Amino acid sequence: MRLRAETRREGVLLLLIVLVLFGFSLVIENYLTARLFNRVSASVAILAILAIGQTLVVLTRNIDLSVGSIVGFTAYFVGQQLSLDNHIHPLVAVSMAVGLGAVLGACNGVLVAYCRVPAIIVTLGTLALFRTILVEYSDAQTILTVNLPQWLIDLPRLNVVSYERLHLRAVVAVMLAVAVLFQLLLRYSSFGRRLYAIGSSPEAARNAGFPTQRLVFIAFVLCGALAGLTGFLFLARFGNITVVAGIGQELKSVAAVVVGGINIFGGSGSVLGAVLGASLIDLLENSLIRSLQISEFLRDALLGMLILAAVAVDSVLMRRRRDR
Amino acid sequence: MPPPAPGEVPASAAPVLEVSGVSKRFDMTQALKEVSLSLHEGEIHALVGENGAGKSTLIKILTGVEHCDAGEVRVEGRVVHLANAQEAQAHGLAAIYQEPLVFPDLDVAENIFITHRDQAMLVNWPRMYAQAEALLASLGVRLDVRAPARGLTLAAQQAVEIAKAISLEVKVLIMDEPTASLSDHEVRQLFRVARQLRDRGVAVLFITHRLEEVFEIADRITVLRDGQHISTRPAAEVTRDLLIRDMVGREVDQFYGNRGAGSTRTIGQRVCRVRGLAREGVFSGMDFDLHEGEVLGFAGLVGSRRTDVALALFGIQPADRGRIEIGGREVRITSPRAAQQLGVAYMTEDRRKLGLAMPLSIAANVTLPVLRRYLTRLGLIHRPREEAAAEGFRQRLDIKAPSAMHLVEKLSGGNQQKVMFGKWLNTRPRIFLLDEPTRGIDVGAKAEVHAMVRELAEEGMAILCISSDLPEVLAMSDRILVMREGRQMGILGRDEATQEAVMSLATGEGGATAEAGAAEGKTP
Repeated sequence: MRLRAETRREGVLLLLIVLVLFGFSLVIENYLTARLFNRVSASVAILAILAIGQTLVVLTRNIDLSVGSIVGFTAYFVGQQLSLDNHIHPLVAVSMAVGLGAVLGACNGVLVAYCRVPAIIVTLGTLALFRTILVEYSDAQTILTVNLPQWLIDLPRLNVVSYERLHLRAVVAVMLAVAVLFQLLLRYSSFGRRLYAIGSSPEAARNAGFPTQRLVFIAFVLCGALAGLTGFLFLARFGNITVVAGIGQELKSVAAVVVGGINIFGGSGSVLGAVLGASLIDLLENSLIRSLQISEFLRDALLGMLILAAVAVDSVLMRRRRDR
Repeated sequence: MPPPAPGEVPASAAPVLEVSGVSKRFDMTQALKEVSLSLHEGEIHALVGENGAGKSTLIKILTGVEHCDAGEVRVEGRVVHLANAQEAQAHGLAAIYQEPLVFPDLDVAENIFITHRDQAMLVNWPRMYAQAEALLASLGVRLDVRAPARGLTLAAQQAVEIAKAISLEVKVLIMDEPTASLSDHEVRQLFRVARQLRDRGVAVLFITHRLEEVFEIADRITVLRDGQHISTRPAAEVTRDLLIRDMVGREVDQFYGNRGAGSTRTIGQRVCRVRGLAREGVFSGMDFDLHEGEVLGFAGLVGSRRTDVALALFGIQPADRGRIEIGGREVRITSPRAAQQLGVAYMTEDRRKLGLAMPLSIAANVTLPVLRRYLTRLGLIHRPREEAAAEGFRQRLDIKAPSAMHLVEKLSGGNQQKVMFGKWLNTRPRIFLLDEPTRGIDVGAKAEVHAMVRELAEEGMAILCISSDLPEVLAMSDRILVMREGRQMGILGRDEATQEAVMSLATGEGGATAEAGAAEGKTP
């Protein structure tokens, strides 16, 4: 039976993850432990949600480079509100983060979809702009863990299910829920299929009479909302939030998406791929930096290499497929 | 009551589509002038005409891509306003094209059902695949509905588009030159599908350049010429010659009147000899010579691959078989650079995209291919020398601009064309390949271009001129090579070349008898 290209890609990623785990377990003593799973899964969850948002945008042949700034902005803003008033209901806090993210995403969406400015320019601009607004707004103050409500501080260690010393963290459960929701949306809703269609052939999409502008706008809003959710989880995880929070997340999210097999020119890819891409990247990063004590500066180099390798492999495969 | 036999349209039946008095103007050109046309349920209606007759514009209006300036479109008697593609679809109008617009990353079934609005919020994949399979099976097409559209042949992509149209329950299906890129076998299959659609009651508007196809498939035939409706007749009452006459019928323009007169040039020795030139899957069997002081016209319909031959001679898409001799020596032209060194220049048909650097000055454009000539010893551009050269061309070609430093994008189409002439003349070619040298320029500029070509030939240049403007080719050329679907159909001398003879060869009618000249009432 012939598998969909996406399924094949996901299988390869899974294999790579297993290989990486196996490789590190040879080098590092006591590597394959419950602690590794607990730590990495929580860390993956945050990146994966961001990558799912990025996937929606990339599918339409666009890109969102401002997600790192949106994460920082929402983390700081929600952290500040919670510091000021410890009695805000958790659901209100989450809605605040998601809503703020959606508004920032809508700014990108309007400029890209309706003003027809290329996404890379728009989001490069808002990457800087959102960050600057945050710096101005925060007055260089830091959100401190001690001022945050207890439920938020406990959130990262909150478990949904536990098996001996393996824990399924609440954060991971949230990520899985988001992943399932968006996988279903992309695969089974006409909205999802139209996102693929737009990225696959914008001309044909216009010819088919799709409201392409509105669909692209919605993709950016959803991406912003998911970045807002990431910001909230970021706040819960780190507690101390400065104005530089979230810097570099745009690179990580794009890397996760590209490594996860989402075509950077739109039209193909899956949520599962993005989650697997995020897992591979985070696993490598965690193992190399924490366990092998490799310099943080090498982290970006590693991400860069992964992006280049993934795209290069893709275009080589693509060309071969075309030539056939 | 038995259904009417194909082709017999009952007088009482109301047309499913009625176009009346539709006009459309693009800037300078009147693309459609009060065109009327009606399509009945269950007929295949062929729409024919030369390049630029207005067929494409009419299709664009019917599919909601363009809007007409005047006139109205009725579907089943009601006036409809086709604001965009979506509305056209909603009224049951759909089109498939020579190059189908599919979504390459989506699979076959998704492509078929992508525009459906009547579906539930969620996609039922198994049902969608089953329906797609059933649809394709009803068309007698075997395709893997789970395969991405990317790898499909053009014919298969068309089948997908047709299946999509059927699933949308179209009343009118427009097929815009669907056979142009298909093999014979695929054409058979397409015809079978088209007849099947007709038998289901769909009105098919079939656009093609191949006259034999028109007679094979059409119930009625409408001819457009220069944006006007010329005739609509039942296919049975039409002969080939009548059709060709309807298509080309215009009086040869006054403008080209003194054809050949005043031509004092003498054809010199052979500069270029081409034998058996071919490029796999594109064109084959090109045999022709170019002589000093001669204009060889390249006639044919859009898609007859004339440009590809020029691109091969200029090394952009090198030929893979055959022989090219220039100045008596066999040469291999594998890059434009090699071509230029052999004295070949090629002026593209798409001056905006491929021909000129629009935001640069006339001078910068004219010196671009031979910039090395204008460098100082330090490798920098010698601006005064560059300007002087461009100024020379500005005056010689009468480019209407205040100076050679004027930006090309600010010039009119005709003057841009002259800049492009200057650019390539600056390479001092012996062989000049012109691709649609008068496309998109006004009548006055056309005349100047014609004079320029004549002058260049008189100076001894060998010129190959591709043009879809039939009277123009006839007026400018010493000999005319006619192409059809990548094959050389024949070379007509000045005395045998008439509009009818060229059209016969270009559409594949008449064959070897074309040299006999004007249509002499030959029956099919």
